[in-house]
Amino acid sequence: MSTERHATEDLPAYALGALGEAERDIVAAHVDRCAQCTRDLAQFEDALYEAAAIGAVQVEPPRDLRTRIVLRHRGARGREGANWAARIAEVLVRPVPLAVPAVLALLLVVSFAIIGTNRQQIDTYERTLAGVAAGRVVALAPTSPNPDARAAVVIPDQGRPYLVVRLPAPPSGKAWEAWVLQPGPKAIPAGTSTSGDVFVLFLTAQLGAGDGVAITLEPVAGSQQPTTQPILLVDRT
Amino acid sequence: MPDKADDVRLVERIAEGDAEALGELYDRYGRVAFGVLYRMLPGPEAAEEVAQDAFHSVWRQARSYRAERGSVRTWLLAICRNAAIDWRRTRGKRTEREVTIDAAAELLSDARVDERVVSAMRAERVRAVVRELPLEQRQVLALAFWGGYSQSEIAARTNTPLGTVKSRVRLAMNKLRERLEDER
Repeated sequence: MSTERHATEDLPAYALGALGEAERDIVAAHVDRCAQCTRDLAQFEDALYEAAAIGAVQVEPPRDLRTRIVLRHRGARGREGANWAARIAEVLVRPVPLAVPAVLALLLVVSFAIIGTNRQQIDTYERTLAGVAAGRVVALAPTSPNPDARAAVVIPDQGRPYLVVRLPAPPSGKAWEAWVLQPGPKAIPAGTSTSGDVFVLFLTAQLGAGDGVAITLEPVAGSQQPTTQPILLVDRT
Repeated sequence: MPDKADDVRLVERIAEGDAEALGELYDRYGRVAFGVLYRMLPGPEAAEEVAQDAFHSVWRQARSYRAERGSVRTWLLAICRNAAIDWRRTRGKRTEREVTIDAAAELLSDARVDERVVSAMRAERVRAVVRELPLEQRQVLALAFWGGYSQSEIAARTNTPLGTVKSRVRLAMNKLRERLEDER
């Protein structure tokens, strides 16, 4: 049994979030290894947040907030098991290693542009997806250099699947290219667009059940295989 | 009212990557979470933005949720509150809806409670327990919780010795815990 002094004195203020940084770190470290203080802290917090739930303003959230939260995460966990990211990276490194720094610099420029995306574009993107009446919507996950990029595959009950994309216009001579990712080593080109802001891109390749989808930056004529890292990716739809 | 075991199962599903479970968690607590954010932030747009960020944090942190560390509701509301405090810090200012001493004098509001979160009878009980606290104890709780102020900041803002503020926090929190825990 530990002979360390319990955090009894400071635990109430810790639960309330009212300690200074140094005191907070000390209490947090103790709670991490003390079952009794963990239990006490849970009781303090449950009581406090129960009172807070009653003290919260009674106001209706926006009607589409739930839709936006769910859409953002549909298919997103696929990113963690995204074999395709690794496969595309392999393709990139082998044939043209010198191109990689240039691609990274380009992605950095794109990233800065994306950060500047305005609220109106966000609204347009979300409204477009919220208007999908019959079909499935699977979100693509942005890769780390582009956390604000957004895209979702819409698989309508009838008709061709398409992407709703929120990305800035590609640099001159470049295009956004969609890929269908089926089992096997090769990605299938599925259409290009030189549009920016919020746009729709119909998939020109067949999208089978469970196939993945990615978007990369390519020459304006399109590529046979991805030559840059995916901006957005979902491993399975 | 949601069952606690059901809540835990929801978080487990979220940890497995089930976005619909995140929606179900929103159905249970989205309104109260939004209400907490609305009270802490300068307007509905900020509350909306931070609510999305908070649910994204739930998505990312679901695997680290531990039931022995508190209920899912507490966990979610703590994430929301921390996100709101971060938002205010990163925006670098406390805006026109800054929690003032007067406005934050009460931990509770008189609004009707959402029965999807707390039963009406339980809500009345919680209100009674809070009202039994002396005014100065309710004030320090409200300033710390809604305002995000530390004990030192509260002492400075209310011109009260730090030791007195600490003592009020301790007494108030102990009473809340004892009275509400007894009746669970």
